[in-house]
Amino acid sequence: MKAEETQELKELIEFLKENKIGEFELERGDLKVRIRFVGEGAPDLSHLAHLLASQAPAASPVIPAAIPAVHASAAAPSAQPPADASEDASLHIVKSPIVGTFYESPSPGSPAFAKIGDRVETGQVLCIVEAMKLMNEIESDAAGEIVKRLVQNGQPVEYGQPLFALRIS
Amino acid sequence: MAATWRQAAVRDPFDLDALARVLAGSRFAGKLHFFPSIASTNSYAMQAAEAGAPDGSVYFADEQTNGRGRGAHTWESAVGAGLYVSVLLRPQLAPTDALWLSLAAGLAGQSAVRQVTSLETDLRWPNDLLLGKRKFCGILTELNADPSFRHAGAPVIGVRHAVIGIGMNVHQTEFPPELREIATSLHLETGRDWPRQELLAALLQSLENEVSALTESSERAAGSICRRLEAGSTWIRRKRVRVEEREDGEGGFAGVTEGLDARGFLRVRTPEGLRTVLSGGVREA
Repeated sequence: MKAEETQELKELIEFLKENKIGEFELERGDLKVRIRFVGEGAPDLSHLAHLLASQAPAASPVIPAAIPAVHASAAAPSAQPPADASEDASLHIVKSPIVGTFYESPSPGSPAFAKIGDRVETGQVLCIVEAMKLMNEIESDAAGEIVKRLVQNGQPVEYGQPLFALRIS
Repeated sequence: MAATWRQAAVRDPFDLDALARVLAGSRFAGKLHFFPSIASTNSYAMQAAEAGAPDGSVYFADEQTNGRGRGAHTWESAVGAGLYVSVLLRPQLAPTDALWLSLAAGLAGQSAVRQVTSLETDLRWPNDLLLGKRKFCGILTELNADPSFRHAGAPVIGVRHAVIGIGMNVHQTEFPPELREIATSLHLETGRDWPRQELLAALLQSLENEVSALTESSERAAGSICRRLEAGSTWIRRKRVRVEEREDGEGGFAGVTEGLDARGFLRVRTPEGLRTVLSGGVREA
């Protein structure tokens, strides 16, 4: 796995944890990820996070081999509600409300709706997710600076998939 | 003056009063907006929606100077030759369910053409209408949803407005060379001129039925949509297709269609396994 993919996976797990999502599947070309939390309450994924962190982020010259599946089945420790106001409270994740294809601009060749470093307002269109010839304008649900775009132009995205990270200001 | 000239040039003009009478009592009553010429009915409708235009507003034109299709595609919209109409809806639907609007709009178009012309048209997933192998009607839906979050982090997002844009070739007797192989019109296929007025009225009435069914029970409507697509399309099963996934032509795959999944997405059996088509162009392979 490439370093940035490991990073992305970690962010994804954080997101799933925060939102108490029990099960998640993602297919992106050769990459397949399946995550399932067993038990109730906040899942404890520190094991997996550790595992990923310890992987040498060797920049593989070959096409990244398909990850067969990441099964993260961790029994929940005694119900400890996740701290909502975590240290990452300043980073806000804009998620896709719909399954489809991510487009950064209104049409190919035209400028992107928003790019990293831009300050965006609540209600500002950040991208389009298209499915079945239905173009869904995705608005920011917070005001802040875009610090990260988590998907590529033209990439399929799932319902609830993180699209942008904003630093709330 | 320009408007007068254009209207005189249109052989099959809309009778706006008669149309208003036919649609009295529908969600479109009193909300019909006609333009002799406009850049794009969809762009106009999206702006009107932002400015607060009500559910059921209809924007239609004799001519579009910048008719839009998916991505960078344009829609050839010659004066008086076709139906160029955009319908603004504010349905009480989650965006996930709003996807059904796209499929339902194709079925509404198919039903309208059947009512007026008795022609059986083919539906190419998700919502192109074809006569033979050529397309005569295209649909582009634009959606704006409320991104506020409820229910413990799970995104529950309501549709604020959806604009369904429909372009239908009616009177065209020829197309530019680059479209000749892929485009057709009702006139080219039947040798007759079908009244745009009747097509528009039938289209809006069919669309109203579809939207009402969806907002009443999206689950029931979804089942009906899938069944009618299976019945009214040669593309849903056993069709060898090529799927162009991206505008830049990268990627894409070929296979044989294998029905719809529970969300209405097309399934294609490829040598590598079953793929689900989320978006993109489906073409005969």
